[in-house]
Amino acid sequence: MATESVALLQGTLDVIVLKTLSWGPMHGFGIARWIQQTTDDALRVEEGSLYPALYRMENRGWVRSQWRMTDNNRRAKYYGLTASGRRQLEAQCSSWSAFSLAMSRIMDATRQPA
Amino acid sequence: MSDAPPNEPRWRRYLRFWRSDPAADVSDELRFHLESRIAENLAAGMSAVDARSAAAERFGDVGAVERSLASLTRERETVERRVAWRQVVLQDFRYAVRQLARNPGFTAVAVLTLALGIGANTAIFSAVYSVLLRPLPYAHADRLVEVREGTGPSDSYGMAVTMGNYDTWQRRSPQFAALAAYTYASFTLTGAGTPQELLAFAATSDYWRTHFIPPVLGRYFGPAEDQPGAPRVVVLSYALWSNTFASDPHIAGRTIVLSGKPYTVIGVAPNEYAFTASAPQLWVPLALTPAERAEHTDHELTVVGLVRDGVTMPNAVRQLTAVQRELAHDYPRGGIDGSIIAHPLRDSVVGRVRTMMLVLFAAVGLVLLIACGNVMNLLLARAAVRRKEVAIRSALGAGRRRLVAQLLTESVLLAALGGGTGIAVAAVGLRALIRVSPDSVPRLMDATLNGPVLSFAAAVSLVCGIVFGVWPALRATRLDLQQSLREGSRDATRVARGSMRTLLVIAEVSLALVLLVGAGLLVRSAIALQRVPPGFDPHGLLVADVALPASRYPTDTSLTAAFERISAAVQSIPGASSVALVNRIPIRDFGMDCAVWRDGTNTSDPASMSANARVATGNYFATMKTPLVRGRTFAAADIDGAYPVVVINQALAHRLFGDADPIGRRVAQCPSGTPTWHEVVGVVADVHARGLDDSPPNEVYYPLGRLRTRGMSLVVRTSVPPASLAPAVRRAVAGVDPELAVSGVATMDEIIARSMATPHFTTTLLVLLGLTGLVLAAVGIYGIIAYFVSQRAHEIGVRMALGASRRGVSLMVLRQGLALAGAGVAIGLVASAAATRALAGLIYGVSTHDPATFLGVTGVLLVVAALASLVPAHRATRLDPLEALRGG
Repeated sequence: MATESVALLQGTLDVIVLKTLSWGPMHGFGIARWIQQTTDDALRVEEGSLYPALYRMENRGWVRSQWRMTDNNRRAKYYGLTASGRRQLEAQCSSWSAFSLAMSRIMDATRQPA
Repeated sequence: MSDAPPNEPRWRRYLRFWRSDPAADVSDELRFHLESRIAENLAAGMSAVDARSAAAERFGDVGAVERSLASLTRERETVERRVAWRQVVLQDFRYAVRQLARNPGFTAVAVLTLALGIGANTAIFSAVYSVLLRPLPYAHADRLVEVREGTGPSDSYGMAVTMGNYDTWQRRSPQFAALAAYTYASFTLTGAGTPQELLAFAATSDYWRTHFIPPVLGRYFGPAEDQPGAPRVVVLSYALWSNTFASDPHIAGRTIVLSGKPYTVIGVAPNEYAFTASAPQLWVPLALTPAERAEHTDHELTVVGLVRDGVTMPNAVRQLTAVQRELAHDYPRGGIDGSIIAHPLRDSVVGRVRTMMLVLFAAVGLVLLIACGNVMNLLLARAAVRRKEVAIRSALGAGRRRLVAQLLTESVLLAALGGGTGIAVAAVGLRALIRVSPDSVPRLMDATLNGPVLSFAAAVSLVCGIVFGVWPALRATRLDLQQSLREGSRDATRVARGSMRTLLVIAEVSLALVLLVGAGLLVRSAIALQRVPPGFDPHGLLVADVALPASRYPTDTSLTAAFERISAAVQSIPGASSVALVNRIPIRDFGMDCAVWRDGTNTSDPASMSANARVATGNYFATMKTPLVRGRTFAAADIDGAYPVVVINQALAHRLFGDADPIGRRVAQCPSGTPTWHEVVGVVADVHARGLDDSPPNEVYYPLGRLRTRGMSLVVRTSVPPASLAPAVRRAVAGVDPELAVSGVATMDEIIARSMATPHFTTTLLVLLGLTGLVLAAVGIYGIIAYFVSQRAHEIGVRMALGASRRGVSLMVLRQGLALAGAGVAIGLVASAAATRALAGLIYGVSTHDPATFLGVTGVLLVVAALASLVPAHRATRLDPLEALRGG
């Protein structure tokens, strides 16, 4: 793994996957590719770890899976958000925004502590 | 490129049509990912080898991911299976509810039949639980044992314990944490309303350790108060405290007068002590004197031991037996053989009622079996009707297991409904049971539908639901699909012969026969008892007890004079034609036990007779209308005690003197002291003094005044209805001495009825159960014969078209019913012959194999079977041959 890549925080992968699926059902490879493209490959997720995350979320009822044909006419397992998955995403989004805002304020701070 | 890996045959994928294959899904999914990535890498211009290794690197450890996914999948499947199972159950349940709702007639009949069976069982079980199974209310009730002295190898009841032997036991029995003794005593309570005669226990202080329930008020007496000469103290029963002392909260410390002596009330015992009819109204210390502690012949004490923790009951009894052997050796005149008869206290309390309760429980179980038989029959009939439904569901892919589960859900639901309704039936039945039960059945009055009883009802319902449901469910689902779909209801040729339904009805008839034979034997026994001449005329007799306290009547002369004055006062009541006195009323009271020797032998003659002794006035026999067979009764001169005389009964006369004339012969009584010789002046007829169901005992009557007796019973022969004289008798006694208590006022008819209350109770219940069984069996016969007729409508049509008479058809149907009943009766007779042995202890005057009962019941069952078949037989003759042939 490249040294400049960012190590993923625990639980972050779930949010990323949920966010990815918010555009519509997608298979595991598609999710990996989307993350790669969106982050310019900065977030080098070990792709294998996507699947346990997906299965876990399916057991929790956040996503639902279904075998479908791809555009290239191949069988692939597609994951889609369920209503509870969507609620989960919303909740995570707002807490992530708050967290990242706080983080960037700290990182961008110019005054030294009193 | 093939999707399937080379090592997996292509056809395996088709398995997924039937069931998902999670392992294959996982590898498919991961393979798709890797292949897509490789394809992308190739498109980006990598070499094939680089493309592969780059994809693998980016993915990570495939094996680890696969393992983790497999475990997540298993987790998910477990949850899914549980959800699916719950859904199946719920679905089956909903379907069952719909099915039962769609057939309200069937459901109602089945539920009511079951409610009757389960309800009756629950009510009786509640009684059995309350009487037989429930622990006694005392702390450590499971370690209490009643001990009695054995008299010989054939003795299973034993004797009460002498004070001396009890004293020895107590000093030498470390295996008992407490060893209590008590005996009955009676006191006249004065100074608190009208004088009352009260039953008391004179008990040792250990009684409050063996029979401990915390007092409502105050305390119980301890060892210091259980000493001769200690201040007199008394513990009141809850009933006495609340009725006579208006629940006075300051009663402890008050002084009350018992038989003329002051006693200090120290406490009130709770109502839980009153679970038998013979519960005392007060307790006083027994306070054995040194002389009493040396007394080894008079068997008077009831002894109860609390076995020490860690000692088993048999061991405790074995150690006591060692002591008893020495006592038997040291005191040969004590009448004991050195054995100990011990029973857990609960069994002693329950006593003779046990057999009766178990017989009732068995009988009610038979009723439930018959009820289950009927419901099973209904289900089998429905199974036939529902073949098509089952076939369709089966054709749509329902497996047999699934179908059976569904049908079982239905029968269990049916049983649950029956059980629920049955609990309501039990509540009503139990209330009725308690109302009609005699007080001779201990602990029945507080039977309730409590936790154990409700669990019993639930368990019985569940077992019933499964037992009567399994066979019909298996039966309904074992089918030839095609035949059923073609709707061949023409399997009518498989008639009643040999099918499960026939066997069921035969079994029902035989069970009903067993029940009815049992009930019949009890009825015959009751009739036999009614016919027993008691040895006196009980109609038109009033009885009342009077006790004269020692404080007011200290001497024998004062006693005799007082009794004479009381007799005279009662005699003067208009409507009283004759008044006599006796110390123990036959049937109600046992006589005093004594041994009697014949003259011409000395007292070491082993040919002594044990006899009941009673003290009576000379006119007692005339008043009772007990015939005087020889000689004379007591005269005024005998009462003065100038010359000791006795009157004996025929049984004793015969046993002592054979056919010789006993008048003028002498008998001696009571071997412990010096013998007292009495001349026999008269012989009277035998009296069933120990109850009509027991043979007349040997009797010796002493004239009033010869033996000191403080308590006597007035026996009043009346020319008016006897009960109407009760108030006048009380007034007459009060006129002689207002401090005297009159108790036990009852007519002799009432006393006899009370003595037979338990057998009557058992008989009534068993007859009720027998009739219920009979009705259920009749319904079963009716059902199968009606089914037979409907199945053979076609054949009957043909027969009638060919000229068979209505009579012939009707006889054919009737024959079917009688054949079934006959088979059932035959089996039932054999079963009854074995089962009625259990009744041996409950019946009197009839053999357990009484031919009249067996024949009578057989007749009743056959007639009922014929009647039950007659309705469908009649319907068969009304069939229109044309219609039957066409409709087939």
